Amino acid sequence: MTFEDLVGGDDLTPEEEARLRRVHDLLVQAGPPPELPLGLERPGAAPEGAEVLQFPLRRRWAVTALAAAAGVAAAFGIGFLVGHAKTKPETFAAQRVVPMHGSKAGQLAVLRIAARDAVGNWPMQIEVRGLPQQKARNADYELWLTKNGRPVVSCGSFRVHADVTSVRLSVPYHFSEYDGWVVTAQSHGESTPGPVVLTT
Amino acid sequence: MGMAVALRTIARVESDGDLIVRAAAGDGSAFEDLYRRYSRAVFGLALRRLGDRGKAEEAVQETFASVWRSAGSYKPERGPGGPWLYAVARHAIVDRARRRGEQPVDSYEEQADAEPGPADRAESGWVAWRVHRALEELPEREREVVSLAYWSGLSQSEVAEFLGIPLGTVKTRTRAALQRLADLLEGELE
Repeated sequence: MTFEDLVGGDDLTPEEEARLRRVHDLLVQAGPPPELPLGLERPGAAPEGAEVLQFPLRRRWAVTALAAAAGVAAAFGIGFLVGHAKTKPETFAAQRVVPMHGSKAGQLAVLRIAARDAVGNWPMQIEVRGLPQQKARNADYELWLTKNGRPVVSCGSFRVHADVTSVRLSVPYHFSEYDGWVVTAQSHGESTPGPVVLTT
Repeated sequence: MGMAVALRTIARVESDGDLIVRAAAGDGSAFEDLYRRYSRAVFGLALRRLGDRGKAEEAVQETFASVWRSAGSYKPERGPGGPWLYAVARHAIVDRARRRGEQPVDSYEEQADAEPGPADRAESGWVAWRVHRALEELPEREREVVSLAYWSGLSQSEVAEFLGIPLGTVKTRTRAALQRLADLLEGELE
């Protein structure tokens, strides 16, 4: 999109327009910031004392790995659905936003990921738009983490009840091991990933 | 009015240099603030130089370990903290690659101990560093709109639909974000 599309400019002074156009050009030049691996979202415990030689992330990652392993074991490899509520995005303290899109027009989703909690879970909220409601009573949609583009780890299932549906999920996985997200349509009793309907 | 609000907001924000000085005195919260401000910029720089997410992730750890260890060498009278952090990050990333016998993807000659000069400032890595750092200072709702408007491929109408807000609000937030970014970047990217 051009500067005019994004910002307009009819009501700007020439100086202000030039200033904002410079920022626009810089944003285009810089490109998108890289997706920060969620393992790097926070520095972990604050370093103590001036003699610290080893970055505390090393220790934190070990804790994360243990928490993830325990969480996966507890959930038998399946993500767990924490709630199913229509919540305004502002009420969820997202630190990362991942847009997803479908193959059909109007099918969109935004995955918001909050800061990891004290025991190693990542609260997430997915808001999907335009997915058809399931006709079969036991059919649902499922969010997966992908590796090499293939869904490998489930982050939870949900059903849609309106044009826009928002659900909250929480998973303990080490996100840096994965490369994306997809949503699949699942039939009753299906344990393998169904057809992909949304992808990053 | 929007600009006045932005300026007041910026005035309350502690400078990078102040945070480095506090970190040098052992203040963990100052270190965490630096990490919040710069972790993405460091990761982007490392990714650009090393071309591998796993290596870049390790380089981020090593960079901030280096920041923590060397914060005492920062001299506020010699300049702001951002360029100093950039120099530390470049040094840590290149040093890591050399120690492990890896060839950086971006192999332009590093001046590891020098702060970025005019030529460096024109370099795309420096531009991305500063822009991505400034993005971290935007309110979440403005950063979200900028990300979607510039890099998602969605039109503004689609962004509005995506976020469930009026199109006018998308335009207002975009302009406010650019004004805030202009204030943050003023004088640094001439």
